[in-house]
Amino acid sequence: MTVASDLSLTEEANLKQKQHGKNLDRFLKNIGLGLVISGAIAAAGFFFTPYAPNAPDFLNRLSPPSSEHWFGTDQLGRDVATRLLYGGVWSVGLAFLITLIGAITGTLVGLAAGHFGRFADITLMRMTDSFFAFPELVAAVTIAGVLGPSTANMVLALILVGWMKFARLVRGLSIDLAHRDFITQAKLNDLPSWLILWRHILPNIGASLLVLWTNSWSRSILSISGLSFLGFGVQPPNAEWGAMLLSGKAYLQTAPHLMIFPGLAILVTVLTINLMGDQLRDLVDSRSTISE
Amino acid sequence: MTDFASRLVSAVLATGRRLSGLVCVLLGISFITFTMTYFAPGDKAAAIAHARYPDAQGFPPEILDGIRQEFYLNEPFFVQFFQWLWRFVQGDFGNSFASNVPVLEIFLANITETLALTASSLAIGLVAAFCLSAISVWKPGSLADRFAVALASIGAAMPNYWLGLLLILLFAVELNWLPSYGTGTPAHIVLPALTLAFWIMASQTRLLRTFFLEAKSAPYIETLRLRGVSEREIFWRHIQRHAAVPALTMIGLDVASLLEGTIIVELTFARGGIGSLLAGAVLSRDYPLILFLVMFFALVYVLINSLIELFQDALDPRKSLELLSNTDVGDEVRS
Amino acid sequence: MLSVDRLSITISKNTILEEVSFSIPEGATLCIAGESGSGKSSLLKALNGLIPARFEKLSFHPRTCPAITHKGRWQGPPGLQQSRWVMQDPIAALNPRLSLGASIGEGAYSKRLSGAEQDKAVAAALDDVELPPALATRRPTEVSLGQAQRACLARALVAQPDLIFFDEPLSALDAIVQKQIAATMKRIQARYGNTFVIVTHDLGFAATFADQMLVLRNGRMEACQPAKMFFERPASRYCRDLIEAARDLGSLPQDPLMADEGHQ
Repeated sequence: MTVASDLSLTEEANLKQKQHGKNLDRFLKNIGLGLVISGAIAAAGFFFTPYAPNAPDFLNRLSPPSSEHWFGTDQLGRDVATRLLYGGVWSVGLAFLITLIGAITGTLVGLAAGHFGRFADITLMRMTDSFFAFPELVAAVTIAGVLGPSTANMVLALILVGWMKFARLVRGLSIDLAHRDFITQAKLNDLPSWLILWRHILPNIGASLLVLWTNSWSRSILSISGLSFLGFGVQPPNAEWGAMLLSGKAYLQTAPHLMIFPGLAILVTVLTINLMGDQLRDLVDSRSTISE
Repeated sequence: MTDFASRLVSAVLATGRRLSGLVCVLLGISFITFTMTYFAPGDKAAAIAHARYPDAQGFPPEILDGIRQEFYLNEPFFVQFFQWLWRFVQGDFGNSFASNVPVLEIFLANITETLALTASSLAIGLVAAFCLSAISVWKPGSLADRFAVALASIGAAMPNYWLGLLLILLFAVELNWLPSYGTGTPAHIVLPALTLAFWIMASQTRLLRTFFLEAKSAPYIETLRLRGVSEREIFWRHIQRHAAVPALTMIGLDVASLLEGTIIVELTFARGGIGSLLAGAVLSRDYPLILFLVMFFALVYVLINSLIELFQDALDPRKSLELLSNTDVGDEVRS
Repeated sequence: MLSVDRLSITISKNTILEEVSFSIPEGATLCIAGESGSGKSSLLKALNGLIPARFEKLSFHPRTCPAITHKGRWQGPPGLQQSRWVMQDPIAALNPRLSLGASIGEGAYSKRLSGAEQDKAVAAALDDVELPPALATRRPTEVSLGQAQRACLARALVAQPDLIFFDEPLSALDAIVQKQIAATMKRIQARYGNTFVIVTHDLGFAATFADQMLVLRNGRMEACQPAKMFFERPASRYCRDLIEAARDLGSLPQDPLMADEGHQ
């Protein structure tokens, strides 16, 4: 049996798919390339740098950028470029970890609110609203300060105040999805609710989650260095960008490079992640036209 | 008539539901706040004794026991919580551990600084954002538009404590035009306000630009254009109004970030104000002051957002009805 | 044999459907027609247990559901495993992130097939709805609407149900595809002898398909007749108007005898 119009429609759909696939490929390639390049630079940095991040050199204190110390040295003669590299691991890595935990917690809360009935929904969402009322920094300063300033307490504080956005997003999306025909079909086909969550709901909110996650990853980097800058986060002598800014602040007049480079590192990193998130969002938007 | 009555009933119900939600959230906030300080290490009785008798060295156990009795420190967690909450609701916020001065007094002495900073930076930031986004939607894709978008992206990624330091370096250290740290003269507020305003400008430009662009392509604006209404009039009389509601909502959502920004900027510039007060209170473990300030931040956030919700309802009565019919039954009737 | 006795649906004091009764023999087709808002879709939802309904008796061979006359909520038709539902919009009814093969396989979930058995069942169902086996790996967005609707049909068939509900199965498609899928449906019914319950507003389609016609109007039963009798001697004025309208639109062939009656 020949199905002429069916075929022509398929071709059209194929074309669309290919176009979309191309965009996605290009995007992934861009990200991949960016990651590879920055990863390579960082690895090369770790490999080639002759300095240790915490090794003082009292003969070479506060020296300006030179061919030996590309970004100069700090008040103890430590190489700023090396410290920036190690500091990146703190800032970016910790932020990654914190947002990952936040995303998982928030997703679980949101799914529970969306699926375990009205009572669970109201209770969990009132709880989320209550947590939402605390500006991240206020809560983090309070928790980190009351428990004593340390990296662990800062991480705890940021995890405690970082999950609510995910909970709201996941709840909204999953309630929206629950009324879709394909979920009804799954229910009529007798699928257990965990399988519906796993196969039908999670894959369909994954893209939006990823966008929100990149967004809060970059915000989290700002929070971590902000808290460290205020003295509530990563403590010296650990090289963290915010902590480096804090110690560089005292030498604003004599050695401004101490404060310029860490700030630049934060700005560039956050900007990069934000742009990545923007691109990702555009991509998700252009695809969601079909499922809407 | 019955229609009107049923609408009235539903409006009252919606308001009631919202109010009960608000009360739940307020209770939740106080609970979280109290829990944060309850589990803090250290002997609270000794801290209170220190505040009362600043000159004394060491305290006999009778005095400490007396204080524990007075502040219910030996009671179980929930008794302490409700004791504190009851006092708080009545307006008894306690005395600072550090100075034995009523918390409210300390707060009132510091709030003006914060208000001045917030208001001035909001004014600068919003005006700048409005101008930038207006220029940028005039010809989307033009050089000015790209500049505005780039500025907004940089502003969103800029750590504002670093921006503060850069401004100090430029205007206070190199050019020596403005004072750097502290408070006192009106000139002291310029750099902090600019720092905060830059962030406000960045986040609001982004949003306003999107809303303006959406409004610009709305069907009824197209109609106006076809009827020969000038671009200028379309922008000032129609697009602006169209974009006002969503923009206002987003400003409300950003209140939390604004409060955060204020704290950081105050600390960066070593200004007085609520943010510095909180940081100081946290470092000296001044629990009554911490409890009060954290509650203050949370209440400001909740109240501003409730106000904005009310405002939206007033502008769009459909929304409150939607809230009501937001149940399974409603969906089924429609389908 | 599916028989429904005095089924009513009331949602927050609004009566959606009032005392609808019908019965159809095994392997036959019931078409439910009526304008939008007449309660067609609600009837289908109630029969699938998605919204609460009251009824005196509801039986689907060989099981019978006792009467639910008050507020009782019931869990789908008796012998749920034996019925499936094909919806109007195939794109909404298929998970965009799942391959067609996986979606079709879910139709047989309650049979707890092994992986290989399920693959075989899916391949057989694809063959039944005349789709090439290669389509099993595609996503819903990568195929045409007609193919997606065929996949939905395959998902319904894979469990070998005795009863299939259709909710306007063709109205999202263009005319040629409509004809082709209607032909496929006919072939499937001829091969497996399933009972079909089809909600449609297209009387032309109903005329070629139905054994039994049920017409709803404002939540009431307007007519319940064998199809042949319905098109020759409609039970009410309203039904006659419906048929006339379909004739005028050209979706039903002109019938000189009827036309004469109509003009007298």
